[in-house]
Amino acid sequence: MWSATLSAQRILLLHGTAHIGNGNVLESAAIGVVNDRITFVKNSLTQSFSKQDWDTIINCNGQHFYPSLVSANNTLGLTEIDAVRATRDFNDVGDWNPHVRAQVAYNVESKVVETTRTNGVLLVQATPRGGWISGSSAVMKLSGWNWEDATVLADDGIHLNWPYDPKNYATQKRDIYSFFELAKTYATDRDDQISDLRLEAMKACFIANKRVYIHAESIQQIVDIIDFAASFQLAFPVIVGGRDAHLVGAKLRDSKIPIMLSRVHSLPSREDDLTFLPYQMPSLLKAQGIPFCIQNDGDMQPMNTRNLPFQAGTTIAYGLTAEEALKSVSLSVCQIMGIDKDYGTLEAGKKATFFVSKGPALDMRTNQLTTILVDGKLVSTTNFQEQLYLKYRQKYKAE
Amino acid sequence: MKARFILFLFGALFSLELHAQFGPENGVKASEPKFVLLQHATIMVKPGQTLADCDLLLHEGKIVQVGKNLKQDGAVALDYTGKVLVPSFIDLYSSIGLDPVAFKNNGWRPQLESNKEGAYYWNEAVHPELTAASAFKLVDNSTDQLQQAGFGFALTHHMDGVVRGSAAFVALGQKEVHQQIISAKAAQVFSFSKGASNQTYPSSQMGSIALLRQALYDLDYYSKNKANLSYSVSLSEWEELSKLPTFFKTDDKWEILRAQKIAKEFKTNFLFIGSGNEYAIASDLKAQNAQLVLPLTFPEAFEVNDPYLAREIPLSELKHWELAPSNAMLLKKAGLDIAFTTYGLKNADQFWTALRKTIARGLSASDAMAALTTVPASWIGLGAQVGTLEAGKHASFSVFSADPFAFEAQLLETWNLGEARYWKAQNPTNLIGTYSVKLPDTTYELVVTGSPDKPQGKVVYKTTTDTLSTKANILLKQQDVAIQFISIGTTNPQLIQLHAKVLKNGMVLEGEGTDAKGAWFQWSAIQQQTTPKPAPVTLKSDSTAYGQVWFPNMAFGTSAKATAQTILFKNATVWTNEKEGIVKGADVLVVNGKIKEVSRQNMNAPAGARVIDAAGLHLTSGIIDEHSHLAISRGVNEGGQAITAEVSIADVVNPDDIDIYRQLAGGVTAAQLLHGSANPIGGQSALIKFKWGVTPDEMLIDNAPKFIKCALGENVKQANWGDFNTVRFPQTRMGVEQVFYDGFYRAKAYQKEWDAYKAGKTRVAPRVDLELEVLAEILRSERFITCHSYIQSEINMLMHVADSMGFRINTFTHILEGYKVADKMNKHGVAGSTFSDWWAYKFEVNDAIPYNAALMTEQGVVVCINSDDAEMGRRLNQEAAKTVKYGGLSEEQAWKLVTLNPAKTLHLDAEMGSVKAGKAADLVLWTANPLSIEARVSLTMIDGVVYYEEALQAQKQQQIEQERVRILSLMLAAGERGEATKTPQKKAKKHYHCDTLGEEATESENAH
Repeated sequence: MWSATLSAQRILLLHGTAHIGNGNVLESAAIGVVNDRITFVKNSLTQSFSKQDWDTIINCNGQHFYPSLVSANNTLGLTEIDAVRATRDFNDVGDWNPHVRAQVAYNVESKVVETTRTNGVLLVQATPRGGWISGSSAVMKLSGWNWEDATVLADDGIHLNWPYDPKNYATQKRDIYSFFELAKTYATDRDDQISDLRLEAMKACFIANKRVYIHAESIQQIVDIIDFAASFQLAFPVIVGGRDAHLVGAKLRDSKIPIMLSRVHSLPSREDDLTFLPYQMPSLLKAQGIPFCIQNDGDMQPMNTRNLPFQAGTTIAYGLTAEEALKSVSLSVCQIMGIDKDYGTLEAGKKATFFVSKGPALDMRTNQLTTILVDGKLVSTTNFQEQLYLKYRQKYKAE
Repeated sequence: MKARFILFLFGALFSLELHAQFGPENGVKASEPKFVLLQHATIMVKPGQTLADCDLLLHEGKIVQVGKNLKQDGAVALDYTGKVLVPSFIDLYSSIGLDPVAFKNNGWRPQLESNKEGAYYWNEAVHPELTAASAFKLVDNSTDQLQQAGFGFALTHHMDGVVRGSAAFVALGQKEVHQQIISAKAAQVFSFSKGASNQTYPSSQMGSIALLRQALYDLDYYSKNKANLSYSVSLSEWEELSKLPTFFKTDDKWEILRAQKIAKEFKTNFLFIGSGNEYAIASDLKAQNAQLVLPLTFPEAFEVNDPYLAREIPLSELKHWELAPSNAMLLKKAGLDIAFTTYGLKNADQFWTALRKTIARGLSASDAMAALTTVPASWIGLGAQVGTLEAGKHASFSVFSADPFAFEAQLLETWNLGEARYWKAQNPTNLIGTYSVKLPDTTYELVVTGSPDKPQGKVVYKTTTDTLSTKANILLKQQDVAIQFISIGTTNPQLIQLHAKVLKNGMVLEGEGTDAKGAWFQWSAIQQQTTPKPAPVTLKSDSTAYGQVWFPNMAFGTSAKATAQTILFKNATVWTNEKEGIVKGADVLVVNGKIKEVSRQNMNAPAGARVIDAAGLHLTSGIIDEHSHLAISRGVNEGGQAITAEVSIADVVNPDDIDIYRQLAGGVTAAQLLHGSANPIGGQSALIKFKWGVTPDEMLIDNAPKFIKCALGENVKQANWGDFNTVRFPQTRMGVEQVFYDGFYRAKAYQKEWDAYKAGKTRVAPRVDLELEVLAEILRSERFITCHSYIQSEINMLMHVADSMGFRINTFTHILEGYKVADKMNKHGVAGSTFSDWWAYKFEVNDAIPYNAALMTEQGVVVCINSDDAEMGRRLNQEAAKTVKYGGLSEEQAWKLVTLNPAKTLHLDAEMGSVKAGKAADLVLWTANPLSIEARVSLTMIDGVVYYEEALQAQKQQQIEQERVRILSLMLAAGERGEATKTPQKKAKKHYHCDTLGEEATESENAH
């Protein structure tokens, strides 16, 4: 049971409904996996497959194929028990910590990770918290022997907490500009000698693909971030949160800054807001053509990550189609983080990181996983909680 | 040493007047007090009675006579033509003459016991022994602002604590302190704030309520049995105050209703010091006939120029800003008696601005005057001494330039106990105008502009060809004026300095001057053009131009309270929760708040019924949340002691919580509002329905069974509360067990004592102990325990405690390891109310599994899924659906976890929990299978009243926006008029959780 990762092989999955992750659905699909990649996704009825080409053939009759759900902006793997200080590894001392790296603290053997995986979330952006710049996040798999082989993308971005207090807003904003001016100068300096760990960690934001994730909610913050990103010519700025994003429509769309939207399952931030505004946000952004994905920052986020599919599912009742809802926690997340070449959809050539569910995976009743693959390796679909369940069930049966 | 003991007897008009002035006199004896006669004044004797051209005769600080053409030998006669005399105002909520309350910092360690040395009450917030009169002294100009506001009297007390001691009724002014104290113990004052006490208890409003009630029971017990009890300074002093008027300071409108319950319990009457939002529940307060002392502190307008910031202001605050000045008018209109206090105002100007605003909103002049004079006087039983300008009363009054309730009048003088203080002249010297100034050699023109108290001058010299001018400095001191300028029109400019007396109301200046050579000369000036004297500004009033009160007075409120409808649901898929199961194509008829009929037959709608086509929709009974902490005022935990069974959430239900509406939108109709988990035996629960726009009592379920929260685990042993909270017993699970045994054994003994008394075996009624009363109810199985619990050891332990005491634990809530002892739970007969899938937030939830609900269900335990969280509360349908995934419950079973099972667990299933004729019409219409991820609530009703309808939400939002824009434009106008404004601040809504301590909610918490 303990995340029995088998070695890579040739796996054929047959007769499932493939939810590609880009909005499309393929009924009666067959998926071929060789080593760590998907080799094809095609109609299983019109093809013939020979048994000897495959090490394992799984008949998924009537079940559903989904690409990995991806949890962006999460402390999963960086903390185990919220109330026990000894297990909290996501917030270090200091205001400017771009050099602090989530990758090396990620605990792939976390019990919380295990219970998240079994609901279909197979990738996480492990993200530090605190300060003005919290640190560098990393995209990690929810299965592996250690953080090295669990890593998808190390240091994928820095996380900047945009100021919000109107009293000190101008000064704090100025501080951020100053730090970025310094960092940009350092980045474009020819000298390759590492002379400042902080600024070194910022370098890739200016000369490579490192994202600048800017955490902000209000309309004032968002319009200022649009200016900020433009003034530093940031290649990959991302707004994380964005509760007011629907009010800045055209400007945001023109800026091409994507939004990692706040937790769907949250209460409106204002007393006067429509009761279900957070549920409606994805469809409001979609209607305005603003690129977005859904994430799960908030109370008890590591353990709550296993509910990411249902947060996406909730948006189906509030304006998204089921496939758009899926996309908002698969392909869209990967696009924003820049890993969509390898992850995010069920398409030939991509990493074989996906799962099979008995029914629609975004509904709690039918999210029942029968097969999980992470980079082509079969991963256990049970976890210690289910084992405890079976243990005590056995006890009562025996009595 | 000479003692003075003066006794005057002036015919029938005079009462016997004794002055307790026993001290020696330094110097010769002063003459006997003189009569003073104010002539030809306009006298506003009392509200509704104003006498023109009338005289007022004073003697010895008292009014002797009011009437026309009064004569008195030896009286000092003063001409008060054109002046208006108004009885001094009375402030019933004041601490003048007393030292400010000292708040001390005791450090981080909790202080469980009283630090006050002496034979006082056990709790520092109860100090009836504090006597305002013994500490009273007026220093310097401390009452200048109050006097300039027109006040001459105040009821002053130590503004500290729950039981604050006696208040003294005092006169303002410069009289000697003994004379200022009109009534040393005129009233007593209570509140719900513990004030400067650092004792841990009470830490919540419900704790303050319980403390006050217990203290009042203790007072009664002490009064009856003091011969046999050890002496208490506090209770002895308190006995003496019992018959006095009792004022109750409140900080919110609902606190009045809360205090009123205490008044009824102890068959007494409270007079309330309001907080300013009482208008929102005027009719409810009228039903109580509440007597209200209202503040005149109105919220400042927000700066609303920036729309980004303006949208952070909730409609509730906008509406309150608009309606706060109408508070007095709306309450008066509802038929309530009101008085005013200056509490919270900084100066006299603020008072007059606010009072005029109140009058502008339609409070009549005589009601305004009464609220400041006769009403407060009668409320403290001193109507014979103060409040009007009638013979025999204290000669305390203010002198105005005009009727201050009709005009923007100037306060000129205040008379306190017959002693005058002059603040402003009736007709201040006014030089504004143009003078022809005659100097020995020249004639100039002097042009005076500016304001009367700060005149600015210009000297003009005209020749046939030219007009020259220069600046002149003018210094005006009452009737003396000094003018300086550099001469013009002469060959040698020189300094001219003039001084003059102002004569004939500023028409003539006459005096001496000196030039550069130091020569003195006579000069004079005559005003050429006069400026007309401005007439006093009339106060206008209009009560119609303002918005309506909403119920509740915030977003999503309604302009009228909602009422029950006759409704027929046609063709719905009904989740009956009865043996019929899920029935397709059924009709459900709702009449008079009840389910009248459920039928597969096509029903005809009664006349006037609303028919809802529910084809394709699902109808269920309302969701019941067994564990909720919303809609609670000022503290979810009374964590001050290990056992606080005496406190009750039902005392502090708050109907103004937006999360009520949000629960309705999620199909939740009822809940148990639980005390937190800060101590082993917490407080009593409130079983409520989420009715929107009603009073706290209307939210409480009628004849609901009694519940109490107990708790086990890390919270009660303060495991995650930091290194300072290591003082309170218990700190281990071992100690927790002993707290329960101790409580219940004490309750047994208490019960025995009362049984004996009731059986006539003892003569003296035992002391009422509110804590043990409640514990005894548990022992008698009249009150049920909902116990917060995590791990199997403690669950097992508490069942043993209950078994040994002969009662049953009703519910284990959270119960995350319930699956490990589900068989034992079934045997004990306890229900389990759990989270669907929460874990990993504390050490004790390591073994929490989402299969818990299914496993307990399989073992025959009645299982509920609860929220403990306002956000999750509104999607409990989804939480229930998770049990289909985790453990494979059927959909019908899953649905019962949030409807029928909580109804059973809360002993409410005779009334709710299923769709069955005769049960309460607490119904929810869903757009899809309620367990589906795609389900939304289409309509929620409670007792036949529709409180939420999805189809109306767009319209609601528009209403909210329109109301916002309307008030924002009023605010903008107020800012432009120059009214004070403040910057809006984004306030995150805070929520209570199990372990939230103190009165303030937190933004987020990880522990539950």
